[in-house]
Amino acid sequence: MPKKLLLIQAFFKKEFIIYRRYLLNSLGGMITLYVVFLLLLGGFQGLRTLTGVEGDTVEGLVVGYVLWFFMLSTYQDVSYALRNEAKEGTLEQLYMSVHGIGWVMGAKVVAAFFINLMLVAVLLMAALVTTGVTVNVDLFSLFPLVVGTLLGSVGIGFAIGGITLVLKRIDSYTQMVQFLLIALVAAPAGRVMWMRFLPCSYGSNLIAQVMVGGQHITQLGLGNVTAMLFIGIGHLGLGYGVYKLCERKAMVQGTLGHY
Amino acid sequence: MIRVESLVKTYPSRKGKPPIKAVDDISFSVAAGELLGLLGPNGAGKTTTVKMLCGLIRPNSGQIVIDGKDLTQRRIPALSKVSAVLEGNRNIYWRLTARENLEFFAALKGLNPAHVRGDIDHYLELFNLTEKANVEARKLSRGMQQKLAIAVALISQSRVVLLDEPTLGLDVQASYEIRQLLKEIVHDQGRTVILTTHDMNVVQDTCQRVIIVNEGRIVADDSVHDLLDLFRVRVYKITIQGVLTPCQRASLLDMEQVIIKEESPERTSISVRLEESQVLYGVIGILGSNNSLIESIDQEQNNFERVFLEIVEGGTQGA
Repeated sequence: MPKKLLLIQAFFKKEFIIYRRYLLNSLGGMITLYVVFLLLLGGFQGLRTLTGVEGDTVEGLVVGYVLWFFMLSTYQDVSYALRNEAKEGTLEQLYMSVHGIGWVMGAKVVAAFFINLMLVAVLLMAALVTTGVTVNVDLFSLFPLVVGTLLGSVGIGFAIGGITLVLKRIDSYTQMVQFLLIALVAAPAGRVMWMRFLPCSYGSNLIAQVMVGGQHITQLGLGNVTAMLFIGIGHLGLGYGVYKLCERKAMVQGTLGHY
Repeated sequence: MIRVESLVKTYPSRKGKPPIKAVDDISFSVAAGELLGLLGPNGAGKTTTVKMLCGLIRPNSGQIVIDGKDLTQRRIPALSKVSAVLEGNRNIYWRLTARENLEFFAALKGLNPAHVRGDIDHYLELFNLTEKANVEARKLSRGMQQKLAIAVALISQSRVVLLDEPTLGLDVQASYEIRQLLKEIVHDQGRTVILTTHDMNVVQDTCQRVIIVNEGRIVADDSVHDLLDLFRVRVYKITIQGVLTPCQRASLLDMEQVIIKEESPERTSISVRLEESQVLYGVIGILGSNNSLIESIDQEQNNFERVFLEIVEGGTQGA
């Protein structure tokens, strides 16, 4: 098996073990997610602002919420993880990996993404069964759009994680990012051209076109999808660049593993 | 295996404090299979040096070459040869078991955990952790956590192992066990080990060679044996029956080379540092002035703690 896959597998196993070992804590998160799905499937509009997806269909609400959930969790999987590893004393070990810290954090994000994906799938299914509601979601179109959108939140995660490495203890500011993510999802990137260049905004706009407009990915236009992916990759690269700059500063100051 | 040349590290000024020169132009090399002790008082630059060897702190200038690979030019190939325990028992995941930690860190170093299962069992056994293999690290004693952290460093099969204070905070038994393990790692596996410590028993017991740093500079670089020889002083312990008279006591305390170590109604011990034989004649003469009965005269063992203090406090250049 290629070494990078082994790394993803190792993170997957680690996350899964912790999830299972601290089941009571994990159950709390699962119940919350399940209740949110019940509310969304019941047509509860209170979460509409959070979802950012235009239109008031049940599908739109669910997909918008799931998108925001993934954006928040991928952001946290990078920025909070860097902070926590520094706090626990294991960040320096990650740095000494033969894979390099970029790949290590990438593997962690991918592993966490798949765990969250399984969780969301199971809980959504359970909520659908409970409510008796059926949703019509074009997964084939949505999956690449969601992945492209999440590149931006990973980039934000790297940038914030890097700033945390240098400044330390800025938790109250990093928590504000979750509100920023809501604003990014809700930004009218379809109408305002420059907003397409904001992290995650263009992707969430394209997702809205699939969900509300009922379009298939092939109808969105290859140029639009490619542009969205390139913008996502750009934000990822930019975030990683900020991270490397901060990492360099922390290495000069000798504070890399401190918190 | 490791070559360090003209390494300099100055921490930039922060919060109005002046810059700190932590490492000041140090050079040394370590051969494959050597166990080197890196010693020095607090703030001498030991941890900074070790962290620079791990690629975690960026030096201002100088070169670090590990197994022929320049760390600043080829970071990942150079670091593939190195593993480290830098934060003692904090280098492991406390919510994973001993076995899970070993499996995870093997993958982090590019190994397939399934292929090193035999090695994992071997290290669990070697470190006396087999019975605790499935216990979460947070539930282990500090000594066991420390041993697990070292086992994690070894599972990567790296040729160089860097240990920052591996016996810090451990009780006598756990410290002894780790010392024995370090000797085995070097002797049986031929790994290169660099350790920093304040514990001179660890140095004297395990290290073949020591580098002593003070204020960022190397003040001694020699074998433990040669340093002990270099600073060998003959110290004799003279024990007499009963107590000293006030006159004897005053005369002895006038002599720089004499320390009165213990005094009880039954016996009194005097330590005499013998730089010239006249001193001993003088002491015997003082004791004889009151017909004190000498019970024994024993030569005291020279130890590395005394050598270390002589070098650091005296600023002596080593051989």
